[in-house]
Amino acid sequence: MEADLQAYVAFYLTGKKQPTQVDGIDGLKLRPALFSGFRDLTRLRYDYPLVLIDDPVDERYVESLSGLIDAILDKLAQGADGERIRKNVLRLEQGIRTLLSTGRSGLFSELWDQAAAPLIKADKLMADSLARARANLKTDGEVIDCTGNLAFRLLGHAWGMTQMQRARRFNADINRLILKLSDIIQADFINSDAGKTAENLRHAFGSGPLDNFNFDAMSRILKKVSARENLPKRRRQRVLDLISTLQSQQFFPTTGSKAGVPGSPPYSFAFDTCSDALKAYRERIPKAIELARAIAMAELEIKGEYSEAKHDALFESFGENGLDTEELAIFPDYLVRINATSLSGPEQSTLTEILSADLPIKIVVQTDDILEKSLIEHGHLTFTLRSKQLARMSMGMGIFVLQAPASSLYRMRQPIQRGLDYAGSALFSIYSGDSPNTAGIAPYLVGAAACESRLFPAFSFNPSAGRDWAARFTLLTNPQVSNDWPVHEVIYQDERIQTVTDPVPFTLIDFVACDARYSKHFARVPRTNWSACLTPVATTLAAEGRGQVETVPYLMMVDGENRLQKVIVDEKLIREARRCRTMWNSLQELGGIHNSHAERLLASEKKLWQESASQAEAVPAKTDAAPASAAVTASPTPAPATGAESEAERSPDEAYIETPRCSSCNECIQLNSKMFAYDGNKQAVIVDASAGTYAQLVEAAENCPVAIIHPGKPRNLNEAGLDELLKRAEVFM
Amino acid sequence: MKFSATECLLELYEEKLELEDYQSGVPRWCNGCGDNAILTAIQRLCRDEGLRPEKTVFVSGIGCSSRFPHYMKTYGFHGIHGRAFPVAEGVKMARPDLTVFVNTGDGDCCSIGAAHWIHAIRYNMNLTVFLHDNQIYGLTKKQASPTSPIGTRSNTTPRGSYLDALNPLTVTLGVANASFVAQAVDWIPESLFEIVKAAYHHKGFSFVRILQRCPEWLPKLHEADMQEPDSVQLLHHENALQLSPGLSKVYKNQLRHDPLDMNRAREIASSTDVVPVGILYQNREIPCYEDTRRSTVLRTSDTVRKGFEAELDKYSV
Ligand SMILES: Cc1ncc(C[n+]2csc(CCOP(=O)(O)OP(=O)(O)O)c2C)c(N)n1
Ligand code: SF4
Ligand code: SF4
Ligand SMILES: [Mg+2]
Repeated sequence: MEADLQAYVAFYLTGKKQPTQVDGIDGLKLRPALFSGFRDLTRLRYDYPLVLIDDPVDERYVESLSGLIDAILDKLAQGADGERIRKNVLRLEQGIRTLLSTGRSGLFSELWDQAAAPLIKADKLMADSLARARANLKTDGEVIDCTGNLAFRLLGHAWGMTQMQRARRFNADINRLILKLSDIIQADFINSDAGKTAENLRHAFGSGPLDNFNFDAMSRILKKVSARENLPKRRRQRVLDLISTLQSQQFFPTTGSKAGVPGSPPYSFAFDTCSDALKAYRERIPKAIELARAIAMAELEIKGEYSEAKHDALFESFGENGLDTEELAIFPDYLVRINATSLSGPEQSTLTEILSADLPIKIVVQTDDILEKSLIEHGHLTFTLRSKQLARMSMGMGIFVLQAPASSLYRMRQPIQRGLDYAGSALFSIYSGDSPNTAGIAPYLVGAAACESRLFPAFSFNPSAGRDWAARFTLLTNPQVSNDWPVHEVIYQDERIQTVTDPVPFTLIDFVACDARYSKHFARVPRTNWSACLTPVATTLAAEGRGQVETVPYLMMVDGENRLQKVIVDEKLIREARRCRTMWNSLQELGGIHNSHAERLLASEKKLWQESASQAEAVPAKTDAAPASAAVTASPTPAPATGAESEAERSPDEAYIETPRCSSCNECIQLNSKMFAYDGNKQAVIVDASAGTYAQLVEAAENCPVAIIHPGKPRNLNEAGLDELLKRAEVFM
Repeated sequence: MKFSATECLLELYEEKLELEDYQSGVPRWCNGCGDNAILTAIQRLCRDEGLRPEKTVFVSGIGCSSRFPHYMKTYGFHGIHGRAFPVAEGVKMARPDLTVFVNTGDGDCCSIGAAHWIHAIRYNMNLTVFLHDNQIYGLTKKQASPTSPIGTRSNTTPRGSYLDALNPLTVTLGVANASFVAQAVDWIPESLFEIVKAAYHHKGFSFVRILQRCPEWLPKLHEADMQEPDSVQLLHHENALQLSPGLSKVYKNQLRHDPLDMNRAREIASSTDVVPVGILYQNREIPCYEDTRRSTVLRTSDTVRKGFEAELDKYSV
């Protein structure tokens, strides 16, 4: 073994660095080679920063800054000066990004104006472009970049918009109910003697020639003709109680509550801890039941369908078993935003309690550090992955779960909305990418790297989307979702100044390399020592097991001057990366990618198919159709039972009517209503042929417009004129 | 608002009505009058669909057929001659929650009310319309109506009428926004009921012309058609009505017709050799006027008063 390889292997296995062979990487400011193009994000166009739309349509509660700019350009930058406008407006966009990177914040329109001011001063054409673009700026809202508080802000905003929608619907419903209930009281008043006083009548008349009417006389007359009954006392009280319950509810701010009704301010639904949210939820349950009950009763009242005999008891026990999800759906949902660091002890168990009861509480848990050390001092390198476990555990409870780094939230805006709409608990586990250990790298980049490295994949699990995993679970927002690791091209110049393009997978190890705390697991190999005994990390990861160590894995990194460096890593990291890949693989399976059951089944089916295909080839080509056709004839299907013709069975002597053809014309009934009667469908039947004479039967047959009455044979052979009657009856036999 | 558990419980308490529960009074129609069959079919519909009497309105004009609302124990509006449609439209506009039916005669609809008829088709409001077409003015004792066959002798045309009859089907099919046009005959109760039901379920202006016998004034008019089953042609299609085995056995003259085929519908409507029975045209995509014009403003007594005054102010001097 060569000396340098020996040194590398020693590092690989023990983490010990031999000073002459390898260097520590502290202070070298190394980053994964794939990051080399992303030093200054303000110069790039990508989906962040975001604009939280103030008054969204169609659930578009968030837009990307570049998306909004593109929409304006699509409209504007068309004609001869299109190119110039495009350039100028993109220049402005960059200005806005730069402002944000200096910590500025504000509305889109405000930042626009701030960024535009210096540009306009310098250039007339620029001023023209920006003025025209500004005129097309139709939406506004706060601009936020992918920083530490993005998740709380974005989810808080989306939640707020969702509750606003609910409040609108709720208000429309409540106002309608209050109005209709008040109408009942009002109508009763108008009908009462009190409502018919001359003064009231005059008032009801409004303006106009009031003196031409004698309201006293009118009042006297109207009072005399009061035919209608007044509202029963109980109903009246019930309606008044319902109105007051509806008006005094505190779940939503209302527009319709009458002034003067002593109302308490609406409840707040956003909380910083699970225990506060749960406490509030519990305290409000009786009020929620009271309101849901009032709404159900009011719906019945206004339809005039409330019946004391039937409904009193039902509403007496209303909500004894709590409210079901549909009933809860009209109420606001609760929002809790917490940092993972405060999720310990009682708070953790309250969270579990909420989720397992599927309460209508949406919980956002933000993690700033997913490389927290745990048992590292015992010689093992295991990241605790607390938040990751949280998401997996919650999926097991069958609630809505969304996991994503902050950098993916824009792409996941629709699943987020589904989560907020979900009737029950929803957990949003978010990695901010904002930690002091990755200082110097933008949180957006750190978040994206967490996702790329498969350490913090983005996924959503929506139990309301269907009954199986295929409908509920999706991994699709992850890069190159069917690969173990996403592969990107690194382009660099080698020692001979030749441009080289290398496909490089981005692995867990690249991600760990960004974190200063783990630098001791990496060692730089000086350029002069680069040799064939170094092998890319991905190759080592792909080979299973340890075996004989003949090569040592290295990572490509770049330093502050963008010079390529090879950094070897220790075995602990390799092990950890494999563990990470295994977890990713099992997620893939849940998402229907490389599903092992399906693949096994497919393989065995394929084998069977191939076997039978080769057997078929072996059999002589002579086809014999006889057995098949014999099989068919051997099992004759029984002839369908021809519905026993009831008419055929009937004796020709019996009198009857072809009832289904009766056109309900009353003729026969008028003739003899003891003999003929209608059935439940108001079509005629003979109920008692002996309830009248044979003459009546014959007459009915003759009168029947659709000729469906059959008189049969006479029962009383002594009836007068039978011969003639029998002759007339012949045509109806 | 929906209340799953509560609603289920409430439904347990819903009463089931029988046919007689929809019957009011004793019809004053002549014995053998085809209006009776129409009344039965509609009462059956009400029962089968569980229509609540207090949520159901029958609107009519004037004529024998227009006495219809009196015989239904629901809300009713026996209006003025030819004006059933405007009244029904007003009811529907103000109370979209009600089920609104219109019963009108050939004189009521096609003569004095023709202008309202045309526009009602075009508005395509969600109304179910039955044209009781006995091809005569029945109530006023036999005057020729627009649908009387040429040569009909009547009090106003003692030497026989001079004009060709107007065809209510082709007229309706010719108006913009026609969305449901069917023909039924009163003497085949099963198909009458099926057509009435389909008309009720269509959202939009469902127009059913019913050939209705008037034994009092035109006793012979449909005699031949009733005796010869093949003179009736039953329309069927997988997107329209399907024929029962019983009906198929008696009426062998059948035609498969796609209810979206307007040109074919117009041809069928113009048939003179057979009486087509079934759905000639149905288009579910045409919007209803009341939906496109619906206001979300709650009608408090205040808004009503203000609206009224604003209207009246336009005319005050
Ligand atoms: C404005 C007005 N004009 C004329 C009449 C007289 N009138 C009453 S019923 C009727 C004809 C009704 O014919 P139709 O609509 O076919 O009803 P049917 O009686 O045939 O069912 C006429 C002209 C009237 N009532 N009002
Ligand atoms: S006469 Fe004929 S059509 Fe009329 S009710 Fe009797 S059976 Fe029915
Ligand atoms: S006159 Fe004709 S339409 Fe009127 S009730 Fe009598 S039969 Fe019926
Ligand atoms: Mg008529």
